[in-house]
Amino acid sequence: MPQAIVMPKLGNTVESAIILAWHIGVGDPVKMGEALCEVETDKATLEVESSASGILLARFFEAGDEVPVMQNIAVVGREGESFDLLSPLSASPAEPVTPSTSDDHSDEKPGDKVFISPRARNLAGRKGIDCSAIEGTGPDGRIIERDIRAYIDQQVKMSPVAKAMLESGEYQIADAGAVDKRITKSDLRPSSPGGSPELKAIDLTGLRRTIAKRMLESLRTTAQLTLNASADATSLQAFRARLKSSDEALGLHDVTINDLLLFAVARTLPAFPELNALYEKDRILQYARVHLGMAVDTPRGLLVPVIRGADSLSLRALSDEAKRLAEACRDSSIMPDELTGGSFTLTNLGGLGIESFTPILNPPQVGILGIGSINLKPVERDGAVAHVPHISLSLTVNHQVVDGAPAARFLAQLRKNIASIELLLAL
Amino acid sequence: MPKSLTIDPHEARQRSLLRAPDIPVNAYLSDPQAEAERFSSAELVNIYHDMRLIREFELVLDGFKKTGSYRGIQYNHLGPAHLSIGQEAAAVGQCLRLDPEDFILGSHRSHGEILAKGLSAIRALDEDCLLDIMENYMGAAALRVVEGIDDFNDIESLAQAYLIYGTYAEIFARATGFNCGMGGSMHTFFPPFGIMPNNAIVGGSADIALGMALFKRINRKRGIVIANIGDSSVASGPVWEAMNFAAMDQYHTLWDAEIGGAPPILFNFMNNFYGMGGQPQGETLGFGMLARVGLGLNAAAMHSERVDGYDPLAVADATRRKKEVLLAGQGPAMLDVITYRYSGHSPSDASSYRGRDEVEMWRQQDSIRGFGAYLCANGHADNKTLEDTNGLIGEMITRIAAAAVDLDRSPRLHVANDEIGAMMFSDERADALDDRAPDVLQPMPESRFEVTSNKHRFGLDERGNPLPKLKTLNYAEAIFEAMLHRFYQDPTMIAFGEENRDWGGAFGAYRGLTEAIPYHRLFNTPISEAAIVGAAVGYALAGGRAVPELMYCDFMGRAGDEIFNQMAKWQAMSANVLRMPLVLRVSVGMKYGAQHSQDWSSLVAHIPGLKVYFPATAYDAKGMLNLALRGSDPVVFFESQRLYSRPETLFAGGVPVEYYEIEEGEPHLHRPGSDITIVTIGATLYRALEAADRLRTEHGLSAEVIDARFLNPLNYEPIVQSLRKTGKVLLASDASERGSFLHTMASNISQLGFDFLDGPVAVLGARNWITPPAELDESFFPSADWMIDIIHERLLPLPGYQPRTRQGKAEILTRNRAGI
Repeated sequence: MPQAIVMPKLGNTVESAIILAWHIGVGDPVKMGEALCEVETDKATLEVESSASGILLARFFEAGDEVPVMQNIAVVGREGESFDLLSPLSASPAEPVTPSTSDDHSDEKPGDKVFISPRARNLAGRKGIDCSAIEGTGPDGRIIERDIRAYIDQQVKMSPVAKAMLESGEYQIADAGAVDKRITKSDLRPSSPGGSPELKAIDLTGLRRTIAKRMLESLRTTAQLTLNASADATSLQAFRARLKSSDEALGLHDVTINDLLLFAVARTLPAFPELNALYEKDRILQYARVHLGMAVDTPRGLLVPVIRGADSLSLRALSDEAKRLAEACRDSSIMPDELTGGSFTLTNLGGLGIESFTPILNPPQVGILGIGSINLKPVERDGAVAHVPHISLSLTVNHQVVDGAPAARFLAQLRKNIASIELLLAL
Repeated sequence: MPKSLTIDPHEARQRSLLRAPDIPVNAYLSDPQAEAERFSSAELVNIYHDMRLIREFELVLDGFKKTGSYRGIQYNHLGPAHLSIGQEAAAVGQCLRLDPEDFILGSHRSHGEILAKGLSAIRALDEDCLLDIMENYMGAAALRVVEGIDDFNDIESLAQAYLIYGTYAEIFARATGFNCGMGGSMHTFFPPFGIMPNNAIVGGSADIALGMALFKRINRKRGIVIANIGDSSVASGPVWEAMNFAAMDQYHTLWDAEIGGAPPILFNFMNNFYGMGGQPQGETLGFGMLARVGLGLNAAAMHSERVDGYDPLAVADATRRKKEVLLAGQGPAMLDVITYRYSGHSPSDASSYRGRDEVEMWRQQDSIRGFGAYLCANGHADNKTLEDTNGLIGEMITRIAAAAVDLDRSPRLHVANDEIGAMMFSDERADALDDRAPDVLQPMPESRFEVTSNKHRFGLDERGNPLPKLKTLNYAEAIFEAMLHRFYQDPTMIAFGEENRDWGGAFGAYRGLTEAIPYHRLFNTPISEAAIVGAAVGYALAGGRAVPELMYCDFMGRAGDEIFNQMAKWQAMSANVLRMPLVLRVSVGMKYGAQHSQDWSSLVAHIPGLKVYFPATAYDAKGMLNLALRGSDPVVFFESQRLYSRPETLFAGGVPVEYYEIEEGEPHLHRPGSDITIVTIGATLYRALEAADRLRTEHGLSAEVIDARFLNPLNYEPIVQSLRKTGKVLLASDASERGSFLHTMASNISQLGFDFLDGPVAVLGARNWITPPAELDESFFPSADWMIDIIHERLLPLPGYQPRTRQGKAEILTRNRAGI
């Protein structure tokens, strides 16, 4: 029985997606879970995985087509099987493709049915694996946990970096036999034996195309003004050191400087609603809550997931959520809904040694704070010069709706809060 | 087998004759003048009153059972009513010379005995004492109802009404009954008046009464104990065992004279000439007269005699004389009290086995009418007083019965709140059940404890090599230390069994106790498993701590009733009024063939009311026995002969010298693992650890090994926790597989952890065969091989593995179809 592959629903608000590229050709074998094609929504670029194993019998759309979600886009089955009824273009209504639900199993032979242990079934469900193609190795051919685990393991695993490098077309896997382990950057070598070519043309697709469009749009449609300042980072560093040496059971070990800054911004912003706002279609929408965007560098490009209600999260909860979102961005499991709805954004290049920069707004947001590196700054103390670590802050606002003074007041309060981060935590 | 008693062949082989004492038959001669000197007229009229009251009490029950009504009260009584109409004189006569601290235990037909003993106790106790008893017994629930029945002129009348009401309410299964209705008609009792449990198992009271008599003797408590049992019960094993146990020579030859001799027990056979439909005299037995049986027990023929149970004064006379013998330590005593029941065995009995004329002849001699005539003839009463007495009794009984059947005044238990469940165990802890200093023969530091405490407490050195066995504390010595500790803490604790003293227990666990503990606290018994357990039940119910021993688990069958029906039941049947601090040590055998190598832990785990422990290491043996010996509940404590000589090799700290307890019901995780869980009961633990080693080295699998330690109570949470991790569970024990407790565990685990299961919970027991000779052990008991094979066949096929035995699913079908 041929199986239809549908355009998945890629988020609550997503109604359609554009097919960017097909990865499997008609007539080629495809495994369940294998990427069939790359699609793009207005928020992100994602891969559609095959929900069946077999031969790709048909593709109903071409790259560039916009397809409504839940629409059949392809069909997988055995060679020669008829699939006309599954085509969205077919005039006649599609027959249900579910197997017969007759209760009469009298002439069912053992082996006709796939038996699976409750544990294996639960694991498969969690991982979204269809068990029909898995061969059980338990007693009487029952599918047991190890079969699901083996199936997962046998899917080629790849680090995000390696995946991006392979997708760039410039690299290939050095040892094709090494499929039983996770492929990382070190397993790849340049495609051409002589090294990279001098020039390589890359078509903009997916996320890169979206970023390119939006960055330009930002500069073209807003009046961006950047203010630079720095905050005393002594407390910040001391507190971070405290967290690092705290009891592991508290779960505070992995809280980073960036998490502390997210916390400081989330707790400072509510007093400055003019910065925690959107500007669109001649009106300003001020938020009571802080939905904090956070720039994440991924192999595919920049993504900005949103921490919802960041002003009400504890430091630990905030840190956990930031980590979860960043990880989801990097392994492409981020949901489109998690990439929208921000009211302010924080971007941090301090870790890469950047002392100061001009962040570009993420419209319709009206503010974005860039974090630079921590540097020693000479400060006069009791008539002498002391060198005190300072962290650089660069705030870009949309001057159309935010004036310089309120932006500066926000920065001033934020500096104060960072300088005495432990007091902020006590609030 | 004490060395102090020599069996001299010259003496044993000497030609001689055995002479026996005469057995008196109906020896009492009526002497109204002499009786008038012994008893006042009022006391003699009370005899009539009490017999009349009992008759009226049972006529109510007879009416309820046969017609559903009595004097205008409608009631359908669902439960049993074994009536003793016709037997009143035997009951009342017996209690005439008893004191409140004397105990009686009865049978299914004991309403009359309960009332007679209660009335006797009420007359003997002062008013403050009576009020105190009634106010403090079960929160005065029964007293409050009785106070609403009448304005009683005096405490004695109130107490009599209380006795009648409490008994009725118990028979009618009311929460206000003496035992909240949990005993019912056949088991009604009231300890404050010396009315101890009545037993619905024929003869069941004999060995329990013996245990109570032992308690009185050993702990120097006042009073005697009477087992009121039927004539036919003399042929039941436990009664014969109890009489032998009661007649042991050692009370006189070996026990300290200061203890006072034999246990004060009277085996009082209420001989109504019928055992169900059979007639012991003339049909089903050959004794001719029951009193003859005493001749077989000891040189004093148990002071046996036949007594006319239709004359209350004859019974009183005999009971008084026997009581004197018993208090002097010269027991046991036996009475064959002839009597007759007019009613059938039970309401369903049509009396097809006896002629109407026979019943009529006995009715003609009715003891109540006869004694009424005696009172009138000798000037103690006249017909009018007797009729007035009859009238008053009828009126009072009717009012009390009406209160007892009324569901508003006399409600049933709220079973929905699991009130019965809460009665199953008392779960108390006590270091000692009495505060006097324990009788011992040497200070504890000078006992064998000095040797055991200085042994290595862990069996392996730092490099994991075994230490010399004789210098290392083993499982049997861990048991010894727990026993010794409690012997020196609790003066009431006694231990007994078939080889407990000089031998030191067949497997050496009691070595050293003979030197430390006097005879009356540690003694050998006849080979009488029923009486061993039954006596322990009585001893515990009377308030002492008893540790009987069954040498082999296989002998449990010999004590089946005592374990299943007595030890397990009396706490709940008393509505938790009584306690059962009894630890039954049971040794699971090996290498001794079909009747000496069985693990029957599943049998007792099936019986509600028993706690079941089975330690597998020395550390657990001591900690779990410590726990059991400080509790208030009946524990069947399984040990294994595979383990006695084994030192502790699993609990890293070894066996502490100090006192400690294991938490009840908690399994122990011996080895953590991630791929499969093996849960064991008993000695299979070590085979599971071996299997776990081989799974690791030969198959790269990590097995988690858990020792359940307890069968009941048992906390399943740690096991389910493990299942959540591994998804696969194998259960193993040495018990035969069919009906094994492992199947109960498997069912519970499957239900608690279904969603985490990667395969069915596998059960591995011994084969459903007889235990073959030791040479064929491997074919019968689970081994590490079997464990790996069953894992391969049922849970996780091991790549390339060739199973050595047949453990596949098909075996379940084949074996069950064949019944093996």
